[in-house]
This record gives sequence, structure tokens and C-alpha cells, in this order.
Amino acid sequence: MDTTNERIATAPLPTPKELRRRRNPVIQFGRFVRINWTMWRLARRKH
Amino acid sequence: MARVVVLGAGVSGHTAALYLKKRLGKRHEVVVVSPNSNYNWIPSNIWVGVGKMTTADVVFPLAPIYRKRGITFIQAKATTLWPEGDADAGVGSAKKTQSAGAKASKGVTGELGLPVPAVDVEHTSAERAGEVERLRYDYLVNATGPMLNFGATPGLGPDNGFTASVCTPAHATAASAELKELIAQLEAGETKRVVIGVGHGTCTCEGAAFEYAFNVEHQLREAGVRERAEVIYLTNENELGDFGVGGMQFEQNGFRTTSQLWTESLFRERGVKAITGAAVTTVEKGVIHYDQLDGTHNDLEYDFAMLLPPFKGAAWTAYSAKGEDITSTVFAPSGFLKVDADYTGRPFEEWTAKDWPRTYQNPTYGNVFAVGIAFAPPHQISRPRATPDGLAVAPSPPRTGMPSGTMGKVVAHSIADMILKGATAPTHSASMAEMAAACVASAGHGIRTGTAAAMTMSPVVPDWERYPETGRNLKETFGEIGLAGHWVKRMLHTLFMYKAKVKPGWRMIPE
Repeated sequence: MDTTNERIATAPLPTPKELRRRRNPVIQFGRFVRINWTMWRLARRKH
Repeated sequence: MARVVVLGAGVSGHTAALYLKKRLGKRHEVVVVSPNSNYNWIPSNIWVGVGKMTTADVVFPLAPIYRKRGITFIQAKATTLWPEGDADAGVGSAKKTQSAGAKASKGVTGELGLPVPAVDVEHTSAERAGEVERLRYDYLVNATGPMLNFGATPGLGPDNGFTASVCTPAHATAASAELKELIAQLEAGETKRVVIGVGHGTCTCEGAAFEYAFNVEHQLREAGVRERAEVIYLTNENELGDFGVGGMQFEQNGFRTTSQLWTESLFRERGVKAITGAAVTTVEKGVIHYDQLDGTHNDLEYDFAMLLPPFKGAAWTAYSAKGEDITSTVFAPSGFLKVDADYTGRPFEEWTAKDWPRTYQNPTYGNVFAVGIAFAPPHQISRPRATPDGLAVAPSPPRTGMPSGTMGKVVAHSIADMILKGATAPTHSASMAEMAAACVASAGHGIRTGTAAAMTMSPVVPDWERYPETGRNLKETFGEIGLAGHWVKRMLHTLFMYKAKVKPGWRMIPE
């Protein structure tokens, strides 16, 4: 347990800018389109 | 006229039944046998477990859907398999029925003069509960999914134990009520410990436990009581981010990173603690006992715990035409059905992508297939480990969601080709060592405040010969966290419920 929690304690923490990016509706809409496109393409090609 | 019996109406069974009927039309019969009257979109159960959805949002009745599609639906569970027919076997008290596709009396023979195979099912509907019926089949698809093996760990589970579960809508609803009580106590100023994870060393579906842990954390934050609750994720994964698939590697911002580092970062950001490499041995009221890979025996007190159970195959037996028990020929010791995988016991270092099945056809009985969780995997994907006392700490391979639906579809096409075109072998394949999977792990629900980790991996089972560096295609393996991931997961809920209800254009939505 200690090793895992020591690793967690030193894991990279997202910056405030990154956290804002993850919640920004405009940016996230773009990511939404991108994620869907990637998943759709994978599903069509790999299945 | 051929009769195809599909056992199970989860993602893989439902998908198989719909594609079979689409291909076979009215000339052939498709029968679905499921102990549940409802379809359940299981990935959304975690949202029922935190009160963000209700049971009605994640289930719908199967009978009207099947009636509309011309599929026969029987609410029952399979108990006995007769893959060679029962020409010389006693039939006990089993009631026999006659179908248009397969005659059903003792010593029944088909068009080729061979005994017609059968499966015994026990009805579970209120009207016919306990009644046993013998169903003849020409082809059988076993998609029975898992049996929730709470009994593997004493004290585990909501029915005969002390922990909550989100495996079924009823379990998730009970978990939500328990969580609500906990929040009320936290609001009253008490401090509490929440433990979420897996309840046995051989569990699978760590992703669902991960999702529930972060959704509960999100819920506590929304309620303004987060600082009074300690949230601990308890897992059999050797390291965070393993998810039972041996972890992943991604390329991000010019660096190659691991799902382990990525997951640890999320744990740090959200203040969630973790216990890894753990095998829960027993649960008492308020205390979880677990062993770890370093040999330690540990006790963990808790106020609220949701621990997933290990899975095993449906409890049923198989008999030869002479009535000999051939369960071990048809099924692996885990109870899952053997398919075209390489089950030769070999050490982890010698496992290859080729071990994984491609057609899901039983090697002994060519008209029997198994898809989704019901097929016996050749081995784990993650490296299996054990405590110094020999207790297995070995995440089982996930076989749910996207791969499971794909298996159902390819098996349906293979069977349809065998019936309609006279194919002598399965014509379609989908190995988990070739197919990709998308996984969207929710970490909080909310149109503006939600978040999820969206991941794809290709292939699901690493192929170290083809991709020597990471086992997977780095161009098709990625992950990102954010609000967009939540929108994707929420959209997939709507899309897959739509698809499962067989609404117009359902086939346009990929598995």
C-alpha cells in the first residue's frame, strides 16, 4: 500500500491551466468530436 | 428450418440474437433464453449506484422487443446441456417441448439421422417458475455472462454479506441508498472511510470499480462533505492503471507515458488512496481482511464498502448421448465454455496473441459457440501473481462491452452462413488479440462538472510479435481525461439503449 501511495504522492499533478482546459466547454466539444471520430474509426476498421 | 438458441440476453447474446434474426428471416427460428425479463445496460449501473440514474434508465423489457422482431423469448436459465442429443439417456422429469425446427421426444433424430442436441432450461418467470423445459437446437450460442460469485469470499456482497455491489440495477439502487445515508452522516459532522474495489484476488472489471470510486468521490465533493471522507480504492491489480489488460502505453505531448502514471495522477488530483496487489479473504461487518503480494495480512475498517465479486461460469452440466457427464469436455474448470483457444498451460513469458480464440466455436461440438464473458479465456492478460501463501492475485481478463458485442455479431454471421450457405466452418472471426476496444471510465457525472477517462486500445490483448515495443499499436491506443469523456459516456448510454431497443438504423451504431 505504501509504495502505491508514495507513487501517487509524487505523480504529476495537472496544472490549473490543464484543469481549466479539461472543463472548458468549447475545448471539450472539440475533444468530444475527436474522441468520437477516433472510436468510430477504430470500430469500423478493427471490427 | 433451423433453430438457433441463444442463452443470455446481455450485450453479446442480445447482439447475436438480433443479427441472427436479421440474417435468417422468418424461415428459421431464433430463441433467446434469459433468466431476466429485462435488458440491462450494465456500464451505466455505476450511475444508478450514486443516484444519478434510476433503474428505469438502464433497463427495458425484452419480451416486446423480441416479439416485434419475431424472436422467441423464454425467461429461464440453462441448467443442462445435451450436445449429442439424448437418444439413449434418461430424461428424468424434464418436460419436453416440440419445436418446428427440432422435434423433441426421447431419441429424437434430425434430418441426417443424428440425435438432435438439446438444452434443459428452468423457467424463472412468475407464471412458470421452476418448470423445466428441454429445448432442441441446431445451433447454440452460450452468452450466459457471469455468475456473480459472492460466495468466493465470506462476507462479500449485499445479500449474504456486508458490502454493496453495483453489478445489477437492484444492487446499485441499494448501494445508492446506502451512500445517501453515509452522506447524511458526513453532513452531521462525522468522519467516514469509504472503500471501493474488488472483493477477491481473481476479480475482473476493475474498470467498473475504478469508475464507482471516482463517482462516489465526485458525489461527496458535490455534497460538500469530501474533506470528512477518506476514499480508498482496493484492487487486485499489481499497479494502478492495469485494468486487467496489463496496462497501456500512450503517446502524449511528445512523450510516451503509461496508464499507471496517468491513473496515479488522477488519484493524486482527487485525493483518493489506493491499495494494490490485494486479495480480499473475508469481510466482516465494518472490517475487510485482505492479503497482499508481500505476504502481509491486513485489516481495513470501513463505513461504506462496494466490492465487486469474482465471476464464474453459469452452474450447469453437460451430458453425452449415453448420459455420461462430459462437463469437463465442454467447459473449463471456471465454468466458462471452451472455444477455439489454445488452453495449453504455459508460463506467462510464453503466452502469445495466437492463444486467443477467433471464431468462438467449441472444438468438440461445432454447433456450439460461446461469446462475451461466457467463453473460457486461454489465460489472463495481466501477469498473474500470488502471495507467499499461494493466494492468487491475478486479475481476470475483461471480456465485456465493445469486444463482447463484436463477438456476438461475428458468431451470428458465422452461424447464418452455416445455415444459409452451407458453410462447414465459421466464416467470421474476431480475436481479442486483433480487435480494438474503447473504454470510457466515468470519474463523475454532470453535464458541466462530469469527467471521464476516455481510452482506446488496439488490440485488447497485447501482440508482442507484431508490436514488440508496447504490445499495442500506439497510433490506435490513447487516453485522455476531461469533460468530453463524460459527454461521450453519456452519449454512448443513449446510443446503446437505442440500439438495443432495435430502433431505426440500429445497425449503423457499431458494437
